[in-house]
Amino acid sequence: MNNPDNPHAWLKEHGDYLYRYAMSRLHNEELAQDMLQETLLAGWKGYDKFAGQSSIRTWLVGILKHKIIDYIRREIRGRNLKDAVESDPTSAFFNANGSWSEAPNAWKENPEDLCKNEQFHKTLELCISRLPEKQQLVFRMRDIVGEDTPTVCKCCDITSTHLHVLLHRARLTLRKCLNMHWFEKGTDS
Amino acid sequence: MKHACHYASRLASDSLDRPLTLWERIRLKLHLSICNNCKNCDNNLKLMRQINELMRINDYGHIRLSEQQLKHLHQALDSDTKA
Repeated sequence: MNNPDNPHAWLKEHGDYLYRYAMSRLHNEELAQDMLQETLLAGWKGYDKFAGQSSIRTWLVGILKHKIIDYIRREIRGRNLKDAVESDPTSAFFNANGSWSEAPNAWKENPEDLCKNEQFHKTLELCISRLPEKQQLVFRMRDIVGEDTPTVCKCCDITSTHLHVLLHRARLTLRKCLNMHWFEKGTDS
Repeated sequence: MKHACHYASRLASDSLDRPLTLWERIRLKLHLSICNNCKNCDNNLKLMRQINELMRINDYGHIRLSEQQLKHLHQALDSDTKA
């Protein structure tokens, strides 16, 4: 147990950090714990690949990131969202001359309050879960998990231009959904 | 300019993922200065981004693995590493 290169020692040393990392992206205790377990195990099995160029924590976070992305991918696929067509919803937000068909209004609430609001979390999650498969995948990876664009492109096997198109669609659809179910509705209802 | 708002919303979204070119920045800035709708949209998108960032950083700063979870994890690691 005194050997720093075993998963029990990693759990002691980095467990809380990795758990928080997983929680902040998955928002689910059981799931975060599973991801942590898988990560420690994968780390142990692949320890000979750890080159020592980074700290063990950075290396473990890298494994955890991939586990989370894999999970998100599997989860979204499993929901069979294929029927939600990947058509261009952005055109529906604009008139033929390119002006807004429904004017966006200003959102008054501040982000610090919103990110602590359980009810808002639920609304956000609901809106995200309604996005078509590809948009949902790239949005979750980019804006929820916080991956950089080259990583998202690589994971999803798409060009950066395609990524920008998908994110544009996802964000405008989300903006509208949040507006309808939260900002226009009033916070206390 | 034709399709101005549609295009501006695209630039506003892109600016969250890549540095805009000088020409794109100028076009977006000019458009936002005259279009309240797009200014709102731009702010909405930025707010959404900010909330997601804050959720990653702030929200779970305090939590730790419980004794029970630790116990479970140590046991699971034991059985898997010995298997």
